[in-house]
Amino acid sequence: MNKHRILEHPVLGKLANQKEMTFTFDGKKYIGYEGDTIASALLANGIRKLRVHEETGTPRGIYCNIGHCFECRVTVDGKPGVRACLTEINRNMVIESGKQHSTPFKPTDNEVDLPRTYSEFENIYKEEKEG
Amino acid sequence: MDKVIICRCEEVDLEEIKETISKYQCSAREIKLRTRAGMGYCGGRTCRPALNAIVAEISGEKLRHEIPLKIQPPIRPVSLGKIGG
Repeated sequence: MNKHRILEHPVLGKLANQKEMTFTFDGKKYIGYEGDTIASALLANGIRKLRVHEETGTPRGIYCNIGHCFECRVTVDGKPGVRACLTEINRNMVIESGKQHSTPFKPTDNEVDLPRTYSEFENIYKEEKEG
Repeated sequence: MDKVIICRCEEVDLEEIKETISKYQCSAREIKLRTRAGMGYCGGRTCRPALNAIVAEISGEKLRHEIPLKIQPPIRPVSLGKIGG
């Protein structure tokens, strides 16, 4: 679990002296240290994907890491749009990753082929009706 | 290189922006309206300089009235609840 951490830091001291904290990400429990941001705690646990793009579902994680780009936004204790890179973890914090949304009104490839009036519809499907 | 994502919020890559510029000979603002690049969650604060630079480089001299992307409040994304109460 401490694979991605600095064990002994000239300023911050020894990792062993830091206070541990348990938090939940997508229903799974993880351990971070006091002063960790959500992003750093998850990165130390080997998790780089914090959400997926709402429309396409492609993965997103830390990008600017200074609170500028909102790429790392997650839902914290039910509050959406929280930046993982700026928010410190708390004991028993419940974090949810961003999920893909449904896109029921997204145009399809053959959109131009779809009928726009009833007469167009009848013309297109005439053959089916006759057959 | 063309597959590099310029606007991460709306997932618009360089290829799409280049194609739109060559097809419509348009300004940075028109690129934004046509492709949605710079209209995402971050408010275009991440990709605005890149978009302006791409348009300037590709079509720069051809355009007489190039309109760069303007900056206006809010300076960071806020919820409607915070604005309206």
